[in-house]
Amino acid sequence: MIVIENVEKRFGETTVLKRINLTIEPGEVVTILGSSGSGKSTLIRCINGLEALSGGSITVDGNDVSTKAGLAAARRRSATVFQLFNLYPHMTALENITLAPINVLKKPRAEAEARARELLKLVGLADLASAYPQRLSGGQRQRVGICRALAMDPNYLLLDEVTSALDPEMTGEVLDILAELARGGTTMLFVTHEVEFARRISSRIVFLEQGELIIDMPTERFFAEDGGFAVPRIRQFLTKMKKD
Amino acid sequence: MLEGFLLTVFACTLAIIGAVIIGALMASLRTSGNRIVRGVAFAYSDVFRNTPFIVQLFFFFYGLPEIGIYIGAFETGVIALSIIGGAFVSDVIRSGILAVDQGVIEAAKVSGLSRWTIFTKIVLPIALRTSVRPMGSVLINMVLTSSILSTITINELTGTAKIVASTTFKPFEVYLVLLVLYASLTYALSLLINTVHRRLNRAMDTGGAA
Ligand SMILES: Nc1ncnc2c1ncn2[C@@H]1O[C@H](COP(=O)(O)OP(=O)(O)OP(=O)(O)O)[C@@H](O)[C@H]1O
Ligand SMILES: [Mg+2]
Repeated sequence: MIVIENVEKRFGETTVLKRINLTIEPGEVVTILGSSGSGKSTLIRCINGLEALSGGSITVDGNDVSTKAGLAAARRRSATVFQLFNLYPHMTALENITLAPINVLKKPRAEAEARARELLKLVGLADLASAYPQRLSGGQRQRVGICRALAMDPNYLLLDEVTSALDPEMTGEVLDILAELARGGTTMLFVTHEVEFARRISSRIVFLEQGELIIDMPTERFFAEDGGFAVPRIRQFLTKMKKD
Repeated sequence: MLEGFLLTVFACTLAIIGAVIIGALMASLRTSGNRIVRGVAFAYSDVFRNTPFIVQLFFFFYGLPEIGIYIGAFETGVIALSIIGGAFVSDVIRSGILAVDQGVIEAAKVSGLSRWTIFTKIVLPIALRTSVRPMGSVLINMVLTSSILSTITINELTGTAKIVASTTFKPFEVYLVLLVLYASLTYALSLLINTVHRRLNRAMDTGGAA
């Protein structure tokens, strides 16, 4: 379980997250929606410890991310997929995937590689194990990025706009994989602008507005005429997203 | 002059290897989180970059025996050349380290890799690859600077040429040949650097995010 309690984040004078409360139970797929600058990425970066909290607390399966030992344990339980992939450019797809399992989980190399090949096969990249990131298309890179995250056997997958650097066709191939993972019961916290996709795969939707979490609803409620849609700000957001 | 030429090639090869090792080490220390370590490493490169090589060379060659350290002229020359080269190489590699994409480092951090593993398996290897070409002019300068080793009785290329010029009384021809030899040597080195650069970076997009 990821428990976010009264989390505050300030950059200098500006408060980017205001008293955020959010709990993610195992098996859930929670989508974070919100307009640009509302603090979605910052929230993800607070969970994986890339940003220090200004207030409040976050625990991942009971491990407090603001302590050193807690963060290390939390990072073993969650894995992040990035918007710009952030693959290690000097390593092959296979090496990208096996680096942390070998060095952090202390898996034997052969076992880590076997698992990596399995994952690559799962995302349709079995033939590209020894390819370097530069040679891969954006969609292929992101699929490797997903494999790299899954190779850590995470309890939670954190995804921040993982398709927004991709063209529609590649977006499709990546979203298909995520939908598959969602069906398989992977717990995900998912930032996206793909509202229709979020509607399809998520169990819950939260909405951030200028650093405040103003809505937290089951997906169906969120899109219902008398639910989220009844909230003027949500209606406005969804109407605008439809037009784009 | 062949012997002198070979000695120059030998000395430079050793010194370049030494300089790259020292440079990588110093660059690592200069980007360390520890203030004292960083300060010492910066002091090293500042001292050696801001003093004349010939004075450093004399300091090692004439100064060290006085405090009881005896090493041969050739060894002294190679070590001195490695040290000054290392100071400049560390500059190049340090820029390479600082230029490594933050996103890549963040991906490594969140996967739980230790700082040591991130540095040795990701940051430094990427920085070394991007540093090969900018290191070129430093290494070429080392070859040119090696001619100063002739001042401490090492009969490398320039030293041999001096002797030949004074025994044959043909300084014009001798030094012309000398110029051509140094030019060929540095040209060969730049070809080598380009090859190494291409090999190491064949796979890698050094232009930025991967
Ligand atoms: N390191 C930082 N220093 C200062 N301000 C920052 C920093 N990171 C983010 N911000 C600010 O925090 C606010 C929230 O940023 P964040 O990236 O979390 O938004 P977002 O919801 O992810 O937006 P987008 O949809 O554009 O990705 C923005 O106003 C941004 O300018
Ligand atoms: Mg963002």
